[in-house]
Amino acid sequence: MAASPIADLSYRNYDGPLDPPLYRWWAIARVAIRDAFRKKSFWVLTVLGGAWYLILMIIFYFVQSFATTMMANRGRQILDPTEAAATMFKQVKWDEQFLQAFSMGQLMFFIIALLIGVGTVANDNRANALLVYLSKPCTKMDYIVGKWVGIFVPMAVAVAVPTLFFYSYCFMSYREYGFLDDPWLILKLPILILIPAAFHASVALGISSMFRQGRTAGAAYAGFYFFTLFFTKAMGTVHIILQQNGSSTKLIDNLFYFSVDGVQIGLAKVLLHSNGGQIFPFSGPGMNLEKFVVPEPNGLLMAFGYLVICGAFVLIASTRIRAVEVVS
Amino acid sequence: MSVASIRNLTVKYGNFTAVSEFSVDVDEGCTGLLGPNGAGKTTFLKTLLGFIQPASGSGHVLGYDFIAQGREIRQRIGLMPEQDCHIPGMTAVQFVGYAGELAGMPADQAVRRAHEVLEYCGLGEARYRNVETYSTGMKQRIKLAQALVHGPKLLLLDEPTNGLDPAGREEMLELVQSVSHGKGINVIICSHLLPDIERTADRVIVMTRGTLRAQGLIKDLKKIAGHPVDVELREDSDAWLDAVRGKGATFLERPARSTYRIQVDGLPEDAARLCMQCAQQTGAQIRGFHVAQRTLEDAFLEAVQSTGPAISTAPPPIVQTGDANGR
Repeated sequence: MAASPIADLSYRNYDGPLDPPLYRWWAIARVAIRDAFRKKSFWVLTVLGGAWYLILMIIFYFVQSFATTMMANRGRQILDPTEAAATMFKQVKWDEQFLQAFSMGQLMFFIIALLIGVGTVANDNRANALLVYLSKPCTKMDYIVGKWVGIFVPMAVAVAVPTLFFYSYCFMSYREYGFLDDPWLILKLPILILIPAAFHASVALGISSMFRQGRTAGAAYAGFYFFTLFFTKAMGTVHIILQQNGSSTKLIDNLFYFSVDGVQIGLAKVLLHSNGGQIFPFSGPGMNLEKFVVPEPNGLLMAFGYLVICGAFVLIASTRIRAVEVVS
Repeated sequence: MSVASIRNLTVKYGNFTAVSEFSVDVDEGCTGLLGPNGAGKTTFLKTLLGFIQPASGSGHVLGYDFIAQGREIRQRIGLMPEQDCHIPGMTAVQFVGYAGELAGMPADQAVRRAHEVLEYCGLGEARYRNVETYSTGMKQRIKLAQALVHGPKLLLLDEPTNGLDPAGREEMLELVQSVSHGKGINVIICSHLLPDIERTADRVIVMTRGTLRAQGLIKDLKKIAGHPVDVELREDSDAWLDAVRGKGATFLERPARSTYRIQVDGLPEDAARLCMQCAQQTGAQIRGFHVAQRTLEDAFLEAVQSTGPAISTAPPPIVQTGDANGR
């Protein structure tokens, strides 16, 4: 008896539906988002990125539980635990806590961008994947937008999950301790979440488009990140020295924000109207670091710088991404 | 009906003109796009897909303006590029399904169809493997699968046998032949390998230095002017040759041992009658008789080397002088 396949393996024409050839960017973005969410390391880094929020939650919990004892240690005897806690929590600048956690999470946000974003176009360049994309009804703009959204959405989720979790926790636990004093905080947080998401999506896309290997692109992004970070740290040190000498720090204060982290933290300071001085919410008088902290920058300057950097890297991607090598 | 009709297409890379004043009609079926390296074949295909903006020209592909309606055209075209290409980090099913989604298929249909075309292309067993682990032959097949997944009306195959060993090449040509005949898919196969084109295509377009040199059915291009015939005798016979010459036939050449190429005024049937008469007279045995043809290689070389106008075997356009009723 002749062997024959169970299924019909001959070619059949596809006569099913085809969506109009618009919005193809969403198909590209959806796959990138799905791939990012499937990576365990993405979720581990997301949790690590929100580690400061976890630390704050633990601190708040213990302060609330042992407020009476702590007040007694500080020389004030308050027997009512709620009143004692309220007195303790009066010190907390709530917006500042989000700024601190945002600053602490910067390194993790960068690593997430490395993980999900920086190889996105470089690997496609290596595999000539653009020929696949652009031979379908996708335009170069679809490709760029799809790849950008494919980095932006996971980045936004990575920042949003711990931020909104912390907000929800505080909203439920510390309303009576002044957490809702800034009614605009809930509107500021979505913008805060978008700052690193859009920044890393743009920069990673631009750098990725310049290379044909994801690793090389990653190394380039890491170099760019750490070099500018070193510059920011150097400016921070100079700021402290000048502050101690009583000299003007205006120029240094602006230069401080010229880095991947700096421009984002600067925008966050403007948005939350904080300077980041309260590193520990319940620190005693001897732990006041306000004078060493670089003050809140000019908002317009920061927004302009941020948009220029994002735009420049998207422009690089747009120039570098081509269906064919054009010989001129 | 023509699948694509292009008029006066000129494509430039800076100061270099890759395609110049190129006009062509691509009929339904399988068409071979022939030309030496650098002839402009790939540039022509990429222009049809909208990858390259032409300096001038007009035309349509599958009824859509190829300059203004690139998206609509690409939704109905499948491209199998010359270079290795895939989406990194995906299995074959994911890759082909994704290609279907990019073409506009709903996700569930795309996955179902990916399984079908992978089976058809002979990758059914390897469909869950990462494409990056595939051999060259398998990579060629998956390029074909991603081009077929959305059921294109026109398939562009750019050097489909590139880098394949003889067995792989044979399998790929069989696959191309299967796709391009009786499946409702029109195919333009681009190659500089004449046997590949001869095996798979019905028509050819010959390009060189960015210009059209010849187009038409392969069998027509292989015809020799004057309808000479090749007569194969059992053994060489000068007597038979003298006899046919004596009756007005012209001896042209001996393409093989004991085979004579002769030309007689009139139809090939007249030549056959003459040959038989002479064989009867001289006692020669005729073993074979057929209308002489050039090889495709000869036809190609003639087209490429000629400096005159492009050779076309297409029938002249019908000029209607009356109304629909023939008046």
